[in-house]
Amino acid sequence: MATERAGDVRQVGREALAYADTLHNLAHYLAGNDPDAQDLVQETYARALRSLHQFTPGTNLKAWLCRILRNTFVSEYRRRRGSPVVGGLDTVDPVHDVADHEIDALRKVMADELQTALMSLGEDARTVILLDLEGLTEVEVAEVMGCAVGTVKSRLSRARAALRRQIGEAAR
Amino acid sequence: MTCADARDLVLAHARGALPPGDDAAVREHLASCAACARVDHVDRMLSEVLEQRLPQHPASLALKRRLAADWPAAPRARRAFTRRWLPALAAAAVVLAVTPLGYHRLVVVPGERNALVTEAVNDHVRVLISQRPMDVESSDVHQVKPWFAGRLDFAPAVAFDGDTEFPLRGGAVGYFLDRRAAVFLYSRRLHAISLFVVRADGLDWPTRRLETSSRGFRVIAWRAGELGYALVSDVSAGELRTLAAKVMGEPA
Repeated sequence: MATERAGDVRQVGREALAYADTLHNLAHYLAGNDPDAQDLVQETYARALRSLHQFTPGTNLKAWLCRILRNTFVSEYRRRRGSPVVGGLDTVDPVHDVADHEIDALRKVMADELQTALMSLGEDARTVILLDLEGLTEVEVAEVMGCAVGTVKSRLSRARAALRRQIGEAAR
Repeated sequence: MTCADARDLVLAHARGALPPGDDAAVREHLASCAACARVDHVDRMLSEVLEQRLPQHPASLALKRRLAADWPAAPRARRAFTRRWLPALAAAAVVLAVTPLGYHRLVVVPGERNALVTEAVNDHVRVLISQRPMDVESSDVHQVKPWFAGRLDFAPAVAFDGDTEFPLRGGAVGYFLDRRAAVFLYSRRLHAISLFVVRADGLDWPTRRLETSSRGFRVIAWRAGELGYALVSDVSAGELRTLAAKVMGEPA
């Protein structure tokens, strides 16, 4: 039994380490800097190891790790920094129409401008955009974000609309 | 369908990820609503911009070493995915480690399709953690395929050159179960997709297309003549099906 458990730990560990880049990227966009991102990732793996008995084999390990990372960020780093959630998604008009300057700005936006625009969004918006980019399903995103599956589509739609607007505004 | 409803669905529509009924409803709405059609267009632009220009911040090698050191140690590998990747894996130290592939796992008992799926996912994970996943880097299949000559005992028949949706990144020789495999690496946005091509003789390779998932990865496997094919990635099921159709040469 103990051998089997050790084998499970090794198996999950091997796979978990394959997601270090994904987790660090998400951590960087949450924490906003590399040192905090590294601490966040390290704490995420430490918590994952302690909570390994809660992981269900056959489910998405990447989504599980992303959820631990986000929860760690919310419980530790955000509180420590005292930084509030900025630009809640509920403030974005869901049927905001696209202005011409937004299209022009999207054509021309450079990597650093795109990163700045993304960082200017609230944590929820950044997270849902990045998780979607990572290919997580709506069910997985909902698990990470701790929200209902039905709200993921609208959150993502609003977050992307907010990002488009931010890129457009920055280019003006 | 209202504009608010449609706008929540345009992204999934663009990715072909909606059920047929919802997809038809969105299509119908976009045909009659210029404002939403414009949102659909610009949302596709945003997807492209994010995939191609958003800076990525991967973990440093030092952090990966620390993470690996903190995780309970794994036994040493008995067999690496390719000889070429051994130095990289060793340099990365660690646990980037490969589990022991006991010989009993190298032989497929007929009917054990799970073993095929497990092997495909294991090999894909090895590709993900490898510091140098490709032996030949090229987006041209006519450079990648000839590179396999003399390195395999079969000719990997892959007609798909890659395109803007699924660019080809290169190829490598790997081991799949007890035999050599041609590995083609494609990408979709930030995701890696591995295509393994092997001789299927002696294996219980599915003759009809098999779609399944394991440990969060999606797998599509099929057989064409004497060769077995397996696509593995964490992209959506719809996207992996699209690539499978292209590799199989099915009409769009």
